[in-house]
Amino acid sequence: MSPQESLVTRRDFLRGVGYAALASTVGLAEGCRPAADGSESEPAAEADRLRAAEGAERRPAGAIARVVLIRDADAVDAHGRVNAEAVQRMLDQAVAQLLQVDRAETAWKQLVQPTDRVGLKSNVWNPLPTPPEVEEAIKTSLMAAGLPAENIRVDDRGARQTLADCTALINVRPLRTHHWAGIGGCLKNYIMFVPTPSAYHPDSCADLGAIWKLPIVRGKTRLNLLVVLTPQFHGRGPHHFDPRYVWPYKGLLVSQDPVAVDAVGVKLLEVKRRLHFGEDVPFPTRTKHVTVADVKHGIGVSDLERIELVKLGWTEEVLI
Amino acid sequence: MPPIRTVILFLLLGLAGGCKEGRPMRMSHLVPTDIHGWRADGQDETYGRQTLFQYMDGTAEIFLIYGFRQVFVRRFVKEGAASLTVEVYDMGSSADAYGMFSFEREEERAGLGQGYEYAAGWLRFWKGPYFVSVMASSETPTSKRAVFDLGQAIARAIPSEGPRPALLAYLPAQGLIADSVRYFHTHTGLNYHYFLADQNLLHLDRQTEAVLARYRLEAGRPYLLLVRYPTPEKAAAARQSFVDAYLPEGGGTGMARLENGKWTAVKAQGEFLVAVFEVPEKQQAVALLETTLRGWGEKQP
Repeated sequence: MSPQESLVTRRDFLRGVGYAALASTVGLAEGCRPAADGSESEPAAEADRLRAAEGAERRPAGAIARVVLIRDADAVDAHGRVNAEAVQRMLDQAVAQLLQVDRAETAWKQLVQPTDRVGLKSNVWNPLPTPPEVEEAIKTSLMAAGLPAENIRVDDRGARQTLADCTALINVRPLRTHHWAGIGGCLKNYIMFVPTPSAYHPDSCADLGAIWKLPIVRGKTRLNLLVVLTPQFHGRGPHHFDPRYVWPYKGLLVSQDPVAVDAVGVKLLEVKRRLHFGEDVPFPTRTKHVTVADVKHGIGVSDLERIELVKLGWTEEVLI
Repeated sequence: MPPIRTVILFLLLGLAGGCKEGRPMRMSHLVPTDIHGWRADGQDETYGRQTLFQYMDGTAEIFLIYGFRQVFVRRFVKEGAASLTVEVYDMGSSADAYGMFSFEREEERAGLGQGYEYAAGWLRFWKGPYFVSVMASSETPTSKRAVFDLGQAIARAIPSEGPRPALLAYLPAQGLIADSVRYFHTHTGLNYHYFLADQNLLHLDRQTEAVLARYRLEAGRPYLLLVRYPTPEKAAAARQSFVDAYLPEGGGTGMARLENGKWTAVKAQGEFLVAVFEVPEKQQAVALLETTLRGWGEKQP
């Protein structure tokens, strides 16, 4: 394919074929794909092996992903404090709905076994970290499902060391815009599992999905929880944070599909930005990595047409 | 091999200054050590082009598309009060300090440095080759006062002002939305504000100067992009690349009505290229192009 054929422009999005145009180009960046071990270049044999594995694990065409959005007007107070009881209720209800069972305990028992070593991959970004109330709610539910407390670990920056031997992972972080990836969501949250995160920065962090196929995480993720209690819809400044651009959405997005939950997150932020700015304001960079995780890496569904979004709870200004 | 005493002195200076890269900068004298009961806390830090990623999560790239050299960081604490963080960025030139300031500008005000903004505990301004950020962890009346007074002290300590990018003078004044003006060099900078294409159709790089601005028309707020290339040949090549890839139906005219019903047009003249996007009417697109290039012609020596 010639460079011209790989071109994606604003006009593709005006024509409504941006997704298709991007999908047709994602195979072109093989030369700059980060290595499976995080080094700068990927040996050809390893690339072939990965491609074969991708083919074997690729979801069938037309697969549907399920994402549950749950909101509660009492989840966050006027001062931004998180209501732990509300969060616990929301989490359990969402997980039961996701797995389509009556009781939360039943759902959690489907996700983990008492013998599992469960790692919560959290996020400690100082302006908007994973709320401790959410971490505690997950731990409470895991223990209610029979998991001993000593089998549960929580980490972010040290995940590559401390969560490496976990048999199950729960991925939990807040949704925000991100200067270099467009959004910071569940896909990006696994970047701390690689030794050289910057190796995944090229091309709008397009190949974040590759991380999900590394042995340290592959097949281990049982749940993705994108925290939208106070999501950040725009960033400014050296640290990409301005308190004027977070809002009390008071929700959680839950899915077993990391791509689908991020795709819904992208949509939520797009709608909020349009509402706030009065026009379509592009993300700092296109959220290409979400589409690439689907089309190239085959680890989930990014097409909103193929995502079943189940909405529970508070409906005011739900936006999506 | 340098004398051992020189090496030891170099290492000591680096450690004492919290220097993360190379030679310690001489920016500490620009920042007070106390203000209204806040005192400098911990070790000052400096980061350069290779180490900025250690200090910032995801935003270092913005600085690196400019001539950023180093940043000096000093933190302040006061019991029972919000913490304050001062960052002084040496951007290499006043044009790039202005560029960094303009990159995220929302509502510029005069009276501090060569232009400032303040919102929600965060003050940002530029003066000479420096872009400065003073941030309170939370906004209160006292922290706001400290932030402003720190900013004023730093602005006074910076010895002189510097010129804005000369390219700004060629923007047509009529209808210009002043706070929308962005100055940058690369296509990453352009795509941040107006996504045009994955590929660098306009051949923008560190050697080009570009300014993007919006204009207030009755029926819309189109964009105008003005680029200065090192040579007229490079400007012409960039125009051709853009026309071929983005406006093929224009038949070489450099003008087309796009799928959203709005006009995009481009012209090159000398080392300049001017493009307009999202223009409601064809004649408005033509007028914006011609006004810009006429202004360029009139200002030539």
